[in-house]
Amino acid sequence: MTALLEIRDLRKSFAGVHAVDGVSFTVKQGSITGLIGPNGSGKSTTIDCIAGFQKADSGRIVLAGTDISGRSAHQIARAGLMRTFQTVRVYENLALRDNLTIAAQQFDDATWSDELFRTRRYRRAAAAAEARARELIELVGLARYFDAEAGILSYGQKKLLALAAALMPRPHIVVLDEPVAGVNPTRIRDVEDVLRKLNAGGETFLIVEHNVEFITNLCHHVIVLDQGRKLAEGTAAAIHTDPRVLEAYLGMTPEMAEAELRGAA
Amino acid sequence: MKAVAIVVAALAFGVLPYLTSSNYILGIAVSAAIYTVAAAALNLIYGYTGLLSFAQLGFWGIGGYATALTVVTFGGTFWLGLLWAGLLNAALALIVGYPTLRVGRHAFVIVTLTFALLVTLVARDWVDLTRGPLGIPGLPAPSLFGVELKTTAHFYWLAWAYALLALGFLYALGTSRIGRTLVAIKQNEPLVRAQGIAPMPYKLTAFAISAAITGIAGGIFAFHLKVIDPLFLDFYYMQTFLIMVIIGGAGSFWGVVVAGIALSALPEVLRFSSDFRMIIYGVVLLVIMLVMPGGFAGWIRQRRVARMRAALR
Repeated sequence: MTALLEIRDLRKSFAGVHAVDGVSFTVKQGSITGLIGPNGSGKSTTIDCIAGFQKADSGRIVLAGTDISGRSAHQIARAGLMRTFQTVRVYENLALRDNLTIAAQQFDDATWSDELFRTRRYRRAAAAAEARARELIELVGLARYFDAEAGILSYGQKKLLALAAALMPRPHIVVLDEPVAGVNPTRIRDVEDVLRKLNAGGETFLIVEHNVEFITNLCHHVIVLDQGRKLAEGTAAAIHTDPRVLEAYLGMTPEMAEAELRGAA
Repeated sequence: MKAVAIVVAALAFGVLPYLTSSNYILGIAVSAAIYTVAAAALNLIYGYTGLLSFAQLGFWGIGGYATALTVVTFGGTFWLGLLWAGLLNAALALIVGYPTLRVGRHAFVIVTLTFALLVTLVARDWVDLTRGPLGIPGLPAPSLFGVELKTTAHFYWLAWAYALLALGFLYALGTSRIGRTLVAIKQNEPLVRAQGIAPMPYKLTAFAISAAITGIAGGIFAFHLKVIDPLFLDFYYMQTFLIMVIIGGAGSFWGVVVAGIALSALPEVLRFSSDFRMIIYGVVLLVIMLVMPGGFAGWIRQRRVARMRAALR
Protein backbone atom coordinates (compact mmCIF):
# COMPACT_ATOMS: atom_id res chain seq x y z
CA MET A 1 0.00 0.00 0.00
CA THR A 2 1.32 3.42 -0.91
CA ALA A 3 1.14 6.59 1.15
CA LEU A 4 -1.89 8.65 0.14
CA LEU A 5 -1.56 11.41 2.69
CA GLU A 6 1.76 12.42 4.11
CA ILE A 7 2.21 14.87 6.98
CA ARG A 8 5.73 16.06 7.63
CA ASP A 9 6.79 18.03 10.70
CA LEU A 10 3.53 19.92 11.10
CA ARG A 11 3.65 22.80 13.59
CA LYS A 12 1.06 25.21 14.86
CA SER A 13 1.12 27.39 17.95
CA PHE A 14 -1.36 29.78 19.48
CA ALA A 15 0.13 32.65 21.48
CA GLY A 16 3.17 30.60 22.39
CA VAL A 17 1.32 27.35 23.13
CA HIS A 18 2.53 24.62 20.81
CA ALA A 19 -0.76 22.96 19.90
CA VAL A 20 0.92 20.87 17.23
CA ASP A 21 4.63 20.49 17.75
CA GLY A 22 6.26 18.67 14.85
CA VAL A 23 3.83 15.90 13.96
CA SER A 24 4.62 13.53 11.09
CA PHE A 25 2.65 10.53 9.88
CA THR A 26 1.31 8.94 6.73
CA VAL A 27 -2.05 7.51 5.79
CA LYS A 28 -1.84 4.58 3.42
CA GLN A 29 -4.07 4.21 0.41
CA GLY A 30 -7.10 2.09 1.28
CA SER A 31 -6.51 2.14 5.03
CA ILE A 32 -8.53 3.29 8.00
CA THR A 33 -6.13 5.25 10.12
CA GLY A 34 -7.01 6.45 13.60
CA LEU A 35 -5.74 9.58 15.27
CA ILE A 36 -6.27 9.50 19.03
CA GLY A 37 -5.06 11.34 22.07
CA PRO A 38 -6.33 12.96 25.26
CA ASN A 39 -8.13 16.31 25.21
CA GLY A 40 -5.80 19.10 24.17
CA SER A 41 -3.33 16.74 22.53
CA GLY A 42 -3.63 18.59 19.23
CA LYS A 43 -5.80 16.19 17.21
CA SER A 44 -8.36 18.75 16.14
CA THR A 45 -5.73 21.35 15.32
CA THR A 46 -3.84 18.76 13.29
CA ILE A 47 -6.79 17.93 11.08
CA ASP A 48 -7.86 21.57 10.86
CA CYS A 49 -4.39 22.31 9.49
CA ILE A 50 -4.55 19.35 7.09
CA ALA A 51 -7.96 20.41 5.78
CA GLY A 52 -6.94 24.06 5.47
CA PHE A 53 -9.24 25.40 8.17
CA GLN A 54 -6.22 26.69 10.03
CA LYS A 55 -2.90 27.76 8.56
CA ALA A 56 -0.03 25.66 9.87
CA ASP A 57 3.05 27.61 10.95
CA SER A 58 5.25 25.13 9.13
CA GLY A 59 5.33 21.60 7.81
CA ARG A 60 4.33 19.89 4.61
CA ILE A 61 1.13 18.11 3.67
CA VAL A 62 1.20 15.95 0.56
CA LEU A 63 -1.98 14.44 -0.83
CA ALA A 64 -1.65 11.82 -3.58
CA GLY A 65 1.69 13.26 -4.64
CA THR A 66 0.53 16.89 -4.62
CA ASP A 67 1.79 19.35 -2.05
CA ILE A 68 -1.32 20.96 -0.58
CA SER A 69 0.37 22.83 2.29
CA GLY A 70 -0.85 26.39 2.68
CA ARG A 71 -3.86 25.95 0.40
CA SER A 72 -7.25 27.16 1.55
CA ALA A 73 -10.02 24.82 2.65
CA HIS A 74 -11.99 24.80 -0.59
CA GLN A 75 -8.87 24.16 -2.67
CA ILE A 76 -7.94 21.21 -0.49
CA ALA A 77 -11.45 19.80 -0.86
CA ARG A 78 -11.12 20.10 -4.62
CA ALA A 79 -7.76 18.35 -4.45
CA GLY A 80 -9.64 15.34 -3.04
CA LEU A 81 -9.60 15.63 0.74
CA MET A 82 -13.06 15.91 2.28
CA ARG A 83 -13.70 16.36 5.99
CA THR A 84 -16.54 16.19 8.46
CA PHE A 85 -16.86 18.20 11.65
CA GLN A 86 -16.80 17.30 15.31
CA THR A 87 -20.02 19.19 15.97
CA VAL A 88 -22.03 17.88 13.08
CA ARG A 89 -22.55 20.27 10.18
CA VAL A 90 -25.34 19.76 7.65
CA TYR A 91 -27.63 22.22 5.85
CA GLU A 92 -30.55 21.99 8.28
CA ASN A 93 -33.13 23.67 6.06
CA LEU A 94 -32.26 21.84 2.87
CA ALA A 95 -33.49 18.43 1.78
CA LEU A 96 -31.06 15.54 2.14
CA ARG A 97 -30.99 15.43 -1.64
CA ASP A 98 -29.70 19.01 -1.79
CA ASN A 99 -27.32 18.45 1.10
CA LEU A 100 -25.66 15.81 -1.03
CA THR A 101 -25.79 17.37 -4.48
CA ILE A 102 -24.29 20.65 -3.25
CA ALA A 103 -21.33 18.67 -1.96
CA ALA A 104 -20.58 17.39 -5.47
CA GLN A 105 -21.24 20.42 -7.61
CA GLN A 106 -17.73 21.83 -7.63
CA PHE A 107 -16.51 18.66 -9.22
CA ASP A 108 -18.47 18.54 -12.47
CA ASP A 109 -18.05 20.57 -15.65
CA ALA A 110 -21.29 22.60 -15.54
CA THR A 111 -20.57 26.34 -15.47
CA TRP A 112 -22.67 29.13 -13.99
CA SER A 113 -24.26 29.93 -17.33
CA ASP A 114 -25.05 26.23 -17.81
CA GLU A 115 -26.90 26.35 -14.52
CA LEU A 116 -28.77 29.55 -15.25
CA PHE A 117 -29.98 28.38 -18.67
CA ARG A 118 -30.43 24.75 -17.65
CA THR A 119 -28.33 23.49 -20.53
CA ARG A 120 -27.95 19.82 -21.36
CA ARG A 121 -24.57 19.78 -19.66
CA TYR A 122 -26.16 21.08 -16.48
CA ARG A 123 -28.96 18.52 -16.61
CA ARG A 124 -26.50 15.71 -17.18
CA ALA A 125 -24.34 16.83 -14.26
CA ALA A 126 -27.40 17.22 -12.04
CA ALA A 127 -28.67 13.76 -12.98
CA ALA A 128 -25.29 12.20 -12.24
CA ALA A 129 -25.14 13.94 -8.85
CA GLU A 130 -28.65 12.81 -8.05
CA ALA A 131 -27.82 9.19 -8.90
CA ARG A 132 -24.72 9.30 -6.72
CA ALA A 133 -26.74 10.91 -3.92
CA ARG A 134 -29.32 8.12 -4.01
CA GLU A 135 -26.63 5.47 -3.96
CA LEU A 136 -24.93 7.01 -0.91
CA ILE A 137 -28.13 7.70 0.97
CA GLU A 138 -29.04 4.02 0.55
CA LEU A 139 -25.65 3.05 1.84
CA VAL A 140 -25.92 5.05 5.05
CA GLY A 141 -29.51 3.88 5.49
CA LEU A 142 -31.33 7.21 5.27
CA ALA A 143 -33.11 6.56 1.96
CA ARG A 144 -36.57 7.23 3.31
CA TYR A 145 -35.61 10.75 4.34
CA PHE A 146 -34.19 11.65 0.92
CA ASP A 147 -36.67 14.46 0.27
CA ALA A 148 -37.03 15.54 3.89
CA GLU A 149 -35.16 18.46 5.40
CA ALA A 150 -31.99 17.53 7.23
CA GLY A 151 -33.27 19.33 10.33
CA ILE A 152 -35.64 16.48 11.16
CA LEU A 153 -32.82 13.94 11.52
CA SER A 154 -31.40 12.82 14.85
CA TYR A 155 -27.85 13.76 15.75
CA GLY A 156 -26.47 10.37 14.76
CA GLN A 157 -28.35 10.42 11.48
CA LYS A 158 -26.91 13.84 10.72
CA LYS A 159 -23.44 12.39 11.22
CA LEU A 160 -24.26 9.72 8.66
CA LEU A 161 -25.57 12.38 6.29
CA ALA A 162 -22.37 14.38 6.74
CA LEU A 163 -20.39 11.24 5.95
CA ALA A 164 -22.41 10.63 2.79
CA ALA A 165 -21.93 14.27 1.74
CA ALA A 166 -18.18 13.96 2.20
CA LEU A 167 -18.18 10.93 -0.10
CA MET A 168 -20.20 12.60 -2.85
CA PRO A 169 -17.31 13.86 -5.00
CA ARG A 170 -15.41 10.51 -4.75
CA PRO A 171 -12.52 12.04 -2.79
CA HIS A 172 -9.12 10.42 -2.32
CA ILE A 173 -9.56 10.50 1.44
CA VAL A 174 -12.21 11.39 3.99
CA VAL A 175 -11.15 12.86 7.32
CA LEU A 176 -13.74 12.20 10.01
CA ASP A 177 -13.65 14.39 13.10
CA GLU A 178 -15.20 12.35 15.92
CA PRO A 179 -17.77 10.51 13.81
CA VAL A 180 -19.45 8.83 16.79
CA ALA A 181 -19.14 11.50 19.49
CA GLY A 182 -22.63 12.18 20.80
CA VAL A 183 -24.08 9.31 18.80
CA ASN A 184 -26.42 6.88 20.50
CA PRO A 185 -24.27 3.82 21.48
CA THR A 186 -26.57 1.40 19.66
CA ARG A 187 -26.00 3.43 16.51
CA ILE A 188 -22.22 3.31 16.74
CA ARG A 189 -22.23 -0.22 15.33
CA ASP A 190 -24.12 1.07 12.29
CA VAL A 191 -21.47 3.69 11.66
CA GLU A 192 -18.78 1.04 12.01
CA ASP A 193 -20.52 -1.19 9.49
CA VAL A 194 -20.94 1.64 7.00
CA LEU A 195 -17.29 2.66 7.27
CA ARG A 196 -16.09 -0.93 6.94
CA LYS A 197 -18.25 -1.44 3.86
CA LEU A 198 -16.93 1.76 2.29
CA ASN A 199 -13.37 0.82 3.11
CA ALA A 200 -13.87 -2.58 1.48
CA GLY A 201 -14.90 -0.59 -1.60
CA GLY A 202 -11.55 1.19 -1.54
CA GLU A 203 -12.24 4.38 0.46
CA THR A 204 -9.45 5.71 2.66
CA PHE A 205 -10.30 7.23 6.05
CA LEU A 206 -8.46 9.21 8.66
CA ILE A 207 -10.51 9.18 11.85
CA VAL A 208 -10.12 11.32 14.95
CA GLU A 209 -12.08 9.80 17.79
CA HIS A 210 -12.26 9.51 21.56
CA ASN A 211 -14.11 6.22 21.53
CA VAL A 212 -11.27 3.71 21.92
CA GLU A 213 -13.44 0.70 21.25
CA PHE A 214 -14.60 2.21 17.97
CA ILE A 215 -11.02 2.94 16.90
CA THR A 216 -9.85 -0.51 17.99
CA ASN A 217 -12.57 -2.25 16.01
CA LEU A 218 -12.05 -0.29 12.87
CA CYS A 219 -8.53 1.01 12.38
CA HIS A 220 -5.65 -0.74 10.68
CA HIS A 221 -3.21 1.77 12.00
CA VAL A 222 -3.41 4.12 14.98
CA ILE A 223 -1.44 7.28 15.72
CA VAL A 224 -1.39 8.60 19.28
CA LEU A 225 -0.83 12.28 19.98
CA ASP A 226 0.01 13.81 23.32
CA GLN A 227 0.75 17.47 23.99
CA GLY A 228 1.13 18.22 20.31
CA ARG A 229 3.60 15.42 19.64
CA LYS A 230 3.30 11.95 18.26
CA LEU A 231 3.58 9.60 21.20
CA ALA A 232 3.29 6.28 19.43
CA GLU A 233 1.90 4.58 16.38
CA GLY A 234 1.15 1.06 15.29
CA THR A 235 -1.68 -1.43 15.12
CA ALA A 236 -4.55 -1.00 17.53
CA ALA A 237 -3.33 -4.04 19.49
CA ALA A 238 0.19 -2.68 19.80
CA ILE A 239 -1.10 0.69 20.97
CA HIS A 240 -3.15 -0.91 23.70
CA THR A 241 -0.17 -2.44 25.35
CA ASP A 242 2.17 0.52 24.92
CA PRO A 243 2.76 1.76 28.48
CA ARG A 244 3.42 5.35 27.35
CA VAL A 245 0.05 5.46 25.66
CA LEU A 246 -1.77 4.01 28.61
CA GLU A 247 -0.06 6.45 30.90
CA ALA A 248 -0.78 9.53 28.80
CA TYR A 249 -4.07 8.72 27.24
CA LEU A 250 -5.90 6.42 29.56
CA GLY A 251 -4.11 7.40 32.72
CA MET A 252 -3.93 3.77 33.88
CA THR A 253 -1.61 0.84 34.09
CA PRO A 254 -1.65 -2.00 31.52
CA GLU A 255 -3.47 -4.24 34.01
CA MET A 256 -6.27 -1.74 34.50
CA ALA A 257 -6.55 -1.24 30.75
CA GLU A 258 -6.74 -4.99 30.24
CA ALA A 259 -9.62 -5.21 32.66
CA GLU A 260 -11.31 -2.26 30.98
CA LEU A 261 -11.03 -3.83 27.55
CA ARG A 262 -12.34 -7.16 28.78
CA GLY A 263 -15.27 -5.33 30.23
CA ALA A 264 -15.97 -3.58 26.97
CA ALA A 265 -15.74 -6.71 24.84
CA MET B 1 -48.88 22.80 -15.35
CA LYS B 2 -47.76 24.96 -12.48
CA ALA B 3 -45.33 26.77 -14.76
CA VAL B 4 -48.10 27.49 -17.27
CA ALA B 5 -50.35 28.86 -14.52
CA ILE B 6 -47.56 31.16 -13.33
CA VAL B 7 -46.86 32.49 -16.82
CA VAL B 8 -50.57 33.09 -17.44
CA ALA B 9 -50.91 34.91 -14.11
CA ALA B 10 -47.81 37.02 -14.82
CA LEU B 11 -49.09 37.98 -18.27
CA ALA B 12 -52.56 38.70 -16.88
CA PHE B 13 -51.13 41.59 -14.87
CA GLY B 14 -50.36 43.22 -18.24
CA VAL B 15 -54.05 43.89 -18.98
CA LEU B 16 -54.55 46.00 -15.85
CA PRO B 17 -54.59 49.33 -17.75
CA TYR B 18 -57.53 48.01 -19.81
CA LEU B 19 -59.48 47.22 -16.66
CA THR B 20 -59.06 50.58 -15.02
CA SER B 21 -58.35 54.07 -16.26
CA SER B 22 -57.68 55.29 -12.74
CA ASN B 23 -54.20 56.75 -12.55
CA TYR B 24 -54.39 56.33 -8.80
CA ILE B 25 -54.72 52.55 -9.07
CA LEU B 26 -52.16 52.33 -11.87
CA GLY B 27 -49.77 54.43 -9.81
CA ILE B 28 -50.07 52.00 -6.93
CA ALA B 29 -49.52 49.15 -9.37
CA VAL B 30 -46.30 50.78 -10.62
CA SER B 31 -45.09 51.09 -7.04
CA ALA B 32 -46.09 47.49 -6.34
CA ALA B 33 -44.14 46.17 -9.34
CA ILE B 34 -41.05 48.25 -8.62
CA TYR B 35 -41.05 47.66 -4.84
CA THR B 36 -41.53 43.94 -5.37
CA VAL B 37 -38.49 43.80 -7.63
CA ALA B 38 -36.40 45.77 -5.13
CA ALA B 39 -37.62 43.48 -2.33
CA ALA B 40 -36.81 40.38 -4.40
CA ALA B 41 -33.32 41.78 -4.99
CA LEU B 42 -32.89 42.34 -1.26
CA ASN B 43 -34.18 38.81 -0.74
CA LEU B 44 -31.34 37.49 -2.90
CA ILE B 45 -28.64 38.99 -0.70
CA TYR B 46 -30.44 38.85 2.66
CA GLY B 47 -32.96 36.03 2.35
CA TYR B 48 -30.85 33.59 0.38
CA THR B 49 -27.29 34.54 1.30
CA GLY B 50 -27.98 35.76 4.83
CA LEU B 51 -26.23 39.10 4.39
CA LEU B 52 -28.36 41.98 5.63
CA SER B 53 -27.65 44.82 3.23
CA PHE B 54 -28.84 48.34 3.96
CA ALA B 55 -26.92 49.42 0.86
CA GLN B 56 -30.06 48.66 -1.16
CA LEU B 57 -31.28 52.14 -0.30
CA GLY B 58 -28.05 53.57 -1.68
CA PHE B 59 -28.31 51.48 -4.86
CA TRP B 60 -31.92 52.59 -5.27
CA GLY B 61 -30.89 56.23 -4.98
CA ILE B 62 -27.81 55.88 -7.18
CA GLY B 63 -29.97 54.14 -9.78
CA GLY B 64 -32.45 57.01 -9.72
CA TYR B 65 -29.78 59.70 -9.87
CA ALA B 66 -27.66 57.91 -12.48
CA THR B 67 -30.63 57.58 -14.80
CA ALA B 68 -31.81 61.15 -14.22
CA LEU B 69 -28.33 62.66 -14.65
CA THR B 70 -27.64 60.62 -17.80
CA VAL B 71 -30.73 62.14 -19.35
CA VAL B 72 -30.71 65.67 -17.92
CA THR B 73 -27.03 66.49 -17.52
CA PHE B 74 -25.29 64.27 -20.04
CA GLY B 75 -27.98 64.24 -22.72
CA GLY B 76 -28.24 60.45 -22.99
CA THR B 77 -31.40 58.42 -23.36
CA PHE B 78 -33.43 56.98 -20.49
CA TRP B 79 -32.37 53.47 -21.54
CA LEU B 80 -28.70 54.39 -21.47
CA GLY B 81 -29.39 55.84 -18.02
CA LEU B 82 -30.83 52.53 -16.84
CA LEU B 83 -27.78 50.73 -18.20
CA TRP B 84 -25.54 53.06 -16.23
CA ALA B 85 -27.70 52.58 -13.16
CA GLY B 86 -27.15 48.83 -13.39
CA LEU B 87 -23.44 48.88 -14.21
CA LEU B 88 -22.48 51.58 -11.74
CA ASN B 89 -24.29 49.80 -8.92
CA ALA B 90 -22.79 46.41 -9.76
CA ALA B 91 -19.32 47.96 -9.75
CA LEU B 92 -19.95 49.76 -6.45
CA ALA B 93 -21.27 46.54 -4.92
CA LEU B 94 -18.04 44.76 -5.84
CA ILE B 95 -15.90 47.60 -4.48
CA VAL B 96 -17.83 47.86 -1.20
CA GLY B 97 -18.47 44.12 -0.93
CA TYR B 98 -15.00 42.69 -1.44
CA PRO B 99 -13.21 44.19 1.58
CA THR B 100 -16.32 44.11 3.77
CA LEU B 101 -17.25 40.49 3.16
CA ARG B 102 -13.74 39.43 4.11
CA VAL B 103 -14.39 40.78 7.59
CA GLY B 104 -17.75 39.23 8.37
CA ARG B 105 -21.50 39.46 8.44
CA HIS B 106 -21.79 42.09 11.17
CA ALA B 107 -19.25 44.34 9.49
CA PHE B 108 -21.26 43.95 6.31
CA VAL B 109 -24.44 45.25 7.95
CA ILE B 110 -22.65 48.28 9.37
CA VAL B 111 -20.70 49.14 6.24
CA THR B 112 -23.76 48.84 3.99
CA LEU B 113 -25.72 51.09 6.34
CA THR B 114 -22.90 53.62 6.25
CA PHE B 115 -22.83 53.36 2.47
CA ALA B 116 -26.54 54.20 2.26
CA LEU B 117 -26.08 57.21 4.55
CA LEU B 118 -23.09 58.33 2.50
CA VAL B 119 -25.13 58.22 -0.70
CA THR B 120 -27.75 60.39 0.99
CA LEU B 121 -25.06 62.89 1.93
CA VAL B 122 -23.74 63.00 -1.61
CA ALA B 123 -27.24 63.52 -3.00
CA ARG B 124 -27.80 66.42 -0.65
CA ASP B 125 -24.39 68.08 -0.52
CA TRP B 126 -22.69 67.53 -3.88
CA VAL B 127 -24.76 70.33 -5.29
CA ASP B 128 -22.76 70.65 -8.55
CA LEU B 129 -23.64 67.12 -9.55
CA THR B 130 -26.99 66.38 -7.95
CA ARG B 131 -28.34 69.93 -7.60
CA GLY B 132 -28.63 69.36 -3.87
CA PRO B 133 -31.86 69.52 -1.87
CA LEU B 134 -33.74 71.16 -4.75
CA GLY B 135 -33.35 68.00 -6.79
CA ILE B 136 -34.05 67.60 -10.47
CA PRO B 137 -37.70 68.26 -11.33
CA GLY B 138 -39.42 67.68 -14.65
CA LEU B 139 -37.73 64.47 -15.74
CA PRO B 140 -38.78 63.99 -19.38
CA ALA B 141 -40.90 61.07 -20.52
CA PRO B 142 -38.69 58.33 -21.97
CA SER B 143 -39.40 57.24 -25.52
CA LEU B 144 -39.50 53.72 -26.83
CA PHE B 145 -39.47 53.13 -30.61
CA GLY B 146 -40.74 56.66 -31.11
CA VAL B 147 -43.56 56.34 -28.57
CA GLU B 148 -43.35 58.70 -25.62
CA LEU B 149 -44.03 56.88 -22.36
CA LYS B 150 -45.91 59.72 -20.73
CA THR B 151 -49.07 58.23 -19.29
CA THR B 152 -49.23 56.26 -16.08
CA ALA B 153 -50.43 53.26 -18.11
CA HIS B 154 -47.24 53.41 -20.17
CA PHE B 155 -45.20 53.45 -17.03
CA TYR B 156 -47.18 50.60 -15.66
CA TRP B 157 -46.30 48.50 -18.70
CA LEU B 158 -42.66 49.47 -18.36
CA ALA B 159 -42.60 48.57 -14.67
CA TRP B 160 -44.53 45.35 -15.34
CA ALA B 161 -42.17 44.29 -18.14
CA TYR B 162 -39.14 45.03 -15.97
CA ALA B 163 -40.66 43.15 -13.06
CA LEU B 164 -41.25 40.07 -15.25
CA LEU B 165 -37.71 40.21 -16.54
CA ALA B 166 -36.04 40.80 -13.18
CA LEU B 167 -38.22 38.37 -11.23
CA GLY B 168 -37.82 35.73 -13.96
CA PHE B 169 -34.07 36.09 -13.72
CA LEU B 170 -34.08 35.97 -9.92
CA TYR B 171 -36.31 32.91 -10.01
CA ALA B 172 -33.99 31.09 -12.42
CA LEU B 173 -31.04 32.07 -10.27
CA GLY B 174 -32.72 31.09 -7.00
CA THR B 175 -33.77 27.67 -8.20
CA SER B 176 -30.41 26.88 -9.81
CA ARG B 177 -27.54 25.32 -7.94
CA ILE B 178 -26.18 28.84 -7.49
CA GLY B 179 -29.29 29.72 -5.50
CA ARG B 180 -28.99 26.60 -3.41
CA THR B 181 -25.33 27.34 -2.79
CA LEU B 182 -26.26 30.83 -1.54
CA VAL B 183 -28.69 29.23 0.92
CA ALA B 184 -25.98 26.77 1.91
CA ILE B 185 -23.59 29.66 2.57
CA LYS B 186 -26.18 31.26 4.83
CA GLN B 187 -26.76 28.06 6.73
CA ASN B 188 -23.26 26.76 7.18
CA GLU B 189 -20.32 28.54 5.67
CA PRO B 190 -17.54 26.27 7.01
CA LEU B 191 -19.33 23.27 5.49
CA VAL B 192 -19.54 25.05 2.15
CA ARG B 193 -15.79 25.59 2.25
CA ALA B 194 -15.22 21.98 3.23
CA GLN B 195 -17.14 20.99 0.10
CA GLY B 196 -14.78 22.77 -2.24
CA ILE B 197 -16.79 25.94 -2.70
CA ALA B 198 -15.18 29.36 -2.21
CA PRO B 199 -18.00 31.48 -0.71
CA MET B 200 -16.63 34.89 -1.76
CA PRO B 201 -17.44 34.80 -5.51
CA TYR B 202 -20.97 33.66 -4.69
CA LYS B 203 -21.53 36.40 -2.12
CA LEU B 204 -20.07 39.09 -4.38
CA THR B 205 -22.13 37.96 -7.35
CA ALA B 206 -25.33 37.94 -5.31
CA PHE B 207 -24.54 41.41 -3.97
CA ALA B 208 -23.71 42.84 -7.40
CA ILE B 209 -26.81 41.36 -9.05
CA SER B 210 -28.96 42.61 -6.19
CA ALA B 211 -27.41 46.09 -6.55
CA ALA B 212 -27.89 46.27 -10.32
CA ILE B 213 -31.52 45.14 -10.18
CA THR B 214 -32.31 47.60 -7.38
CA GLY B 215 -30.58 50.42 -9.24
CA ILE B 216 -32.56 49.90 -12.44
CA ALA B 217 -35.76 49.72 -10.39
CA GLY B 218 -34.79 53.07 -8.83
CA GLY B 219 -34.17 54.55 -12.27
CA ILE B 220 -37.61 53.57 -13.54
CA PHE B 221 -39.29 54.77 -10.36
CA ALA B 222 -37.60 58.18 -10.50
CA PHE B 223 -38.96 58.77 -14.01
CA HIS B 224 -42.37 57.59 -12.87
CA LEU B 225 -42.26 60.28 -10.16
CA LYS B 226 -40.81 62.69 -12.76
CA VAL B 227 -38.61 64.23 -10.09
CA ILE B 228 -35.62 63.15 -8.06
CA ASP B 229 -34.32 64.81 -4.92
CA PRO B 230 -32.65 63.60 -1.71
CA LEU B 231 -36.03 62.41 -0.46
CA PHE B 232 -35.66 59.59 -2.97
CA LEU B 233 -33.19 58.21 -0.40
CA ASP B 234 -35.67 58.38 2.45
CA PHE B 235 -35.33 55.42 4.78
CA TYR B 236 -38.98 54.71 4.06
CA TYR B 237 -37.94 52.81 0.91
CA MET B 238 -35.41 50.59 2.70
CA GLN B 239 -37.97 49.89 5.39
CA THR B 240 -40.57 48.98 2.77
CA PHE B 241 -38.26 46.52 1.00
CA LEU B 242 -37.18 44.98 4.28
CA ILE B 243 -40.75 44.57 5.56
CA MET B 244 -41.70 42.85 2.32
CA VAL B 245 -38.84 40.39 2.66
CA ILE B 246 -39.46 39.68 6.34
CA ILE B 247 -43.24 39.35 6.08
CA GLY B 248 -42.99 37.30 2.90
CA GLY B 249 -40.36 35.04 4.42
CA ALA B 250 -36.65 35.68 3.91
CA GLY B 251 -35.29 33.19 1.41
CA SER B 252 -38.60 32.43 -0.26
CA PHE B 253 -39.04 33.75 -3.79
CA TRP B 254 -42.84 33.44 -3.90
CA GLY B 255 -43.30 34.60 -0.33
CA VAL B 256 -41.55 37.88 -1.10
CA VAL B 257 -43.37 38.39 -4.42
CA VAL B 258 -46.76 37.88 -2.79
CA ALA B 259 -45.82 40.09 0.18
CA GLY B 260 -44.50 42.75 -2.21
CA ILE B 261 -47.81 43.00 -4.02
CA ALA B 262 -49.98 42.62 -0.91
CA LEU B 263 -48.06 45.13 1.20
CA SER B 264 -48.07 47.69 -1.61
CA ALA B 265 -51.85 47.47 -1.72
CA LEU B 266 -52.52 47.20 2.01
CA PRO B 267 -51.93 50.84 3.08
CA GLU B 268 -54.17 51.94 0.19
CA VAL B 269 -56.93 49.49 1.06
CA LEU B 270 -56.87 50.95 4.57
CA ARG B 271 -57.61 54.45 3.29
CA PHE B 272 -61.26 54.06 4.36
CA SER B 273 -59.99 55.19 7.74
CA SER B 274 -57.52 57.95 7.02
CA ASP B 275 -56.94 58.73 10.71
CA PHE B 276 -56.04 55.22 11.75
CA ARG B 277 -54.68 53.87 8.49
CA MET B 278 -51.00 53.67 9.46
CA ILE B 279 -51.87 52.44 12.95
CA ILE B 280 -53.89 49.58 11.49
CA TYR B 281 -51.06 48.87 9.05
CA GLY B 282 -48.63 48.71 11.97
CA VAL B 283 -50.90 46.41 13.94
CA VAL B 284 -51.30 44.10 10.95
CA LEU B 285 -47.50 43.87 10.56
CA LEU B 286 -47.12 43.24 14.28
CA VAL B 287 -49.70 40.46 14.33
CA ILE B 288 -48.15 38.80 11.29
CA MET B 289 -44.74 38.85 12.96
CA LEU B 290 -46.17 37.39 16.17
CA VAL B 291 -48.04 34.60 14.39
CA MET B 292 -45.47 33.93 11.70
CA PRO B 293 -41.98 34.87 12.90
CA GLY B 294 -40.47 33.25 9.79
CA GLY B 295 -42.74 35.24 7.52
CA PHE B 296 -45.53 33.84 5.43
CA ALA B 297 -43.30 31.35 3.62
CA GLY B 298 -41.61 30.35 6.87
CA TRP B 299 -44.99 29.58 8.37
CA ILE B 300 -45.94 27.33 5.44
CA ARG B 301 -42.55 25.62 5.62
CA GLN B 302 -42.95 24.96 9.33
CA ARG B 303 -46.29 23.30 8.78
CA ARG B 304 -44.80 21.14 6.04
CA VAL B 305 -41.90 20.06 8.25
CA ALA B 306 -44.31 19.30 11.10
CA ARG B 307 -46.39 17.12 8.78
CA MET B 308 -43.27 15.34 7.56
CA ARG B 309 -42.14 14.71 11.14
CA ALA B 310 -45.54 13.30 12.01
CA ALA B 311 -45.52 11.08 8.91
CA LEU B 312 -42.10 9.68 9.72
CA ARG B 313 -42.97 8.86 13.29
